[in-house]
Amino acid sequence: MAFAADRGVRLAAPVALVLVAGCVVPLAVLFVYSFFKVDFVAIVHDPTVKNYVRVAASATYRGLIGRAILSGAIVAVISAVIAYPVAWAIAKRVYLLKSAYLTLLLIPLYTGDLVRIFAWRVVLGSEGVINSFLMWTGIVHEPIRALLFSPFATHVVLTYDYLPFMVMGLWLAFESLDDRLLEAARDLGAGEVTIFRRIVLPLTAPGLIAGAMMVFVLVVGDYLTPQLIGGSSGITVISAINDLFGTAFDWPLGSAIASSLLIILGLLVTLAALVVARSTWGRSVVSGE
Amino acid sequence: MTFTLRRRELLKSVLAGAAFSAVGPLRPAQAAEAVSWLTWENLAKDDYLAALIEKGGISIEKSFIGTDDEQFAKLRAGGASSVDLITPGLDKVEYYVASNLLQPIDLAKVPNAAKLYDTFKATTLGKKDGKTYGIPFYWGINPVVYRADLMDAEPDWSVFFEGEKYKGKLAMRDYALEGIMIAALYLGIPKDKMFDLDDKQLAEVKKALIAQKKLLRTYWSSIGDLTNLFATGEVVCAFSWVPPYFDLTARGLKMGMAKPKAGVIGWCDTLAIPAGVSGAKLDATLKLVDYLLGPDYGKKLAYGGPYAQSTSSTRDALPAEQQEKIFIKDLSVMDSFVWKANPPRYTEWVALWNEVKAS
Repeated sequence: MAFAADRGVRLAAPVALVLVAGCVVPLAVLFVYSFFKVDFVAIVHDPTVKNYVRVAASATYRGLIGRAILSGAIVAVISAVIAYPVAWAIAKRVYLLKSAYLTLLLIPLYTGDLVRIFAWRVVLGSEGVINSFLMWTGIVHEPIRALLFSPFATHVVLTYDYLPFMVMGLWLAFESLDDRLLEAARDLGAGEVTIFRRIVLPLTAPGLIAGAMMVFVLVVGDYLTPQLIGGSSGITVISAINDLFGTAFDWPLGSAIASSLLIILGLLVTLAALVVARSTWGRSVVSGE
Repeated sequence: MTFTLRRRELLKSVLAGAAFSAVGPLRPAQAAEAVSWLTWENLAKDDYLAALIEKGGISIEKSFIGTDDEQFAKLRAGGASSVDLITPGLDKVEYYVASNLLQPIDLAKVPNAAKLYDTFKATTLGKKDGKTYGIPFYWGINPVVYRADLMDAEPDWSVFFEGEKYKGKLAMRDYALEGIMIAALYLGIPKDKMFDLDDKQLAEVKKALIAQKKLLRTYWSSIGDLTNLFATGEVVCAFSWVPPYFDLTARGLKMGMAKPKAGVIGWCDTLAIPAGVSGAKLDATLKLVDYLLGPDYGKKLAYGGPYAQSTSSTRDALPAEQQEKIFIKDLSVMDSFVWKANPPRYTEWVALWNEVKAS
């Protein structure tokens, strides 16, 4: 046994090494930089917490971090609502060509960010598909300009972009959901809402949590979609960090904002994990009770 | 085709090769010196450089940049040893010099530098302690471009700050430096004070920019995207670069280009040589620099860009119409330009810009 464990450690070492070199080290460098300051184009290696004070004191940076988290949560919730029936249908109602449906679902992801963004511009623009249709039917006489270049448009496109991640997570969970449990619940007189709340939701929770995490993190980190679809309100915390690293050459402040965002996200994920672990259905998910 | 090589033949080839390389150093003029040029893709087209290459003695290895910041980051990260010539913005040369990345250029070895327009001879940008580190290379203006078919009159900067007529149909570049410069021009802040705004002036600028944001359809970040927005009618007027004007006019749209009287933002890119370049490589690089400021290249750029060189090398050889197109017909127009410079409080400018966008 000792030998097997030892071999396990040795086999895991390259993976651990890649993780440390590719993930932990760059983040550590970023974190260290956040305590430096900048003098024109020179980074002064003089430790200070000034950058964090600036982030905390700035309503703009606080607001941008808050806005990113809110957007992530909104899109995660909307995609969960849309993905539940889709994942259920693929898992439980499609028998032939299941993989074809799944591939179809993933096709938008093959096209790349910019193609999807420009496709949505064609749909939502002043001379776009929706506005042209509405004007043709006479429902409106002027194009609805808020369809594009607005927070609404940004959230529509973000939901479209990241929905497949939620569907995939839930589909896997639905595949392992035993239908006999639902039949038993019905036989015992449970209503559909009760069945969903007490059986489907707890048993698909691992998929929901995995999907929600993916969507949340991807939305928080996406700046291209808000920039190209969100119009004058399309600023994100990521584009602000980009400005600081690029044009302003203030790497320390950029690092401090990035580190703050990372710490807050880490805390939120931990908090969510704790809440889930303490709930009854969370315990059943974790321990398989 | 089959190819076989016997041991004896191989030996002969090796000996011949060794003999050739032994006499090689005696004939350096025959070998082309390779100069590695980091630049924008549209400046290094083969036909632009053909006249120099044909003369022999020099070959050019090109690598391209996407943004000025990327170029700076690359050099800072140790990339200076792999390039012999770079193309930083005139306002950015200061960054490179402060980071000890460049060497002063011996203008005696660049005869065409004598033909620089007065503005570029006089500018303090690109220089330090009387030495030139970045020679002005080519330049242009960032004007207001508009859909002449959808606007009543030629706009000036005020269109971006007041009135409701074009609300939701305007666009501004997502770039703190120019955004704040335009607000300062609109507010009547003198050009020579523009980069040293005090707290009160910055507060005024911020107020104006927040008013501006309400009028904007979007902030643009790529010129291709802005061209697209003009073409689809999402935007009728924007602080722009010149390409959408030429591209969309060529496609039959009635476009207009305005140069507001309060001042126009001029830009200029330079040629700069990294600190480590020396010897024959340096001589070849200087030869390339001289060519890039000379008439053969200038003519190609004037039609192909269309952009103006910073020297008068080719000006007189161009017809008036082409001169007009690249803003060199009436050179006094340069007096109304504001050349971009680095504000000492640039981090605060960027913070202000982000505050406005997040408002």
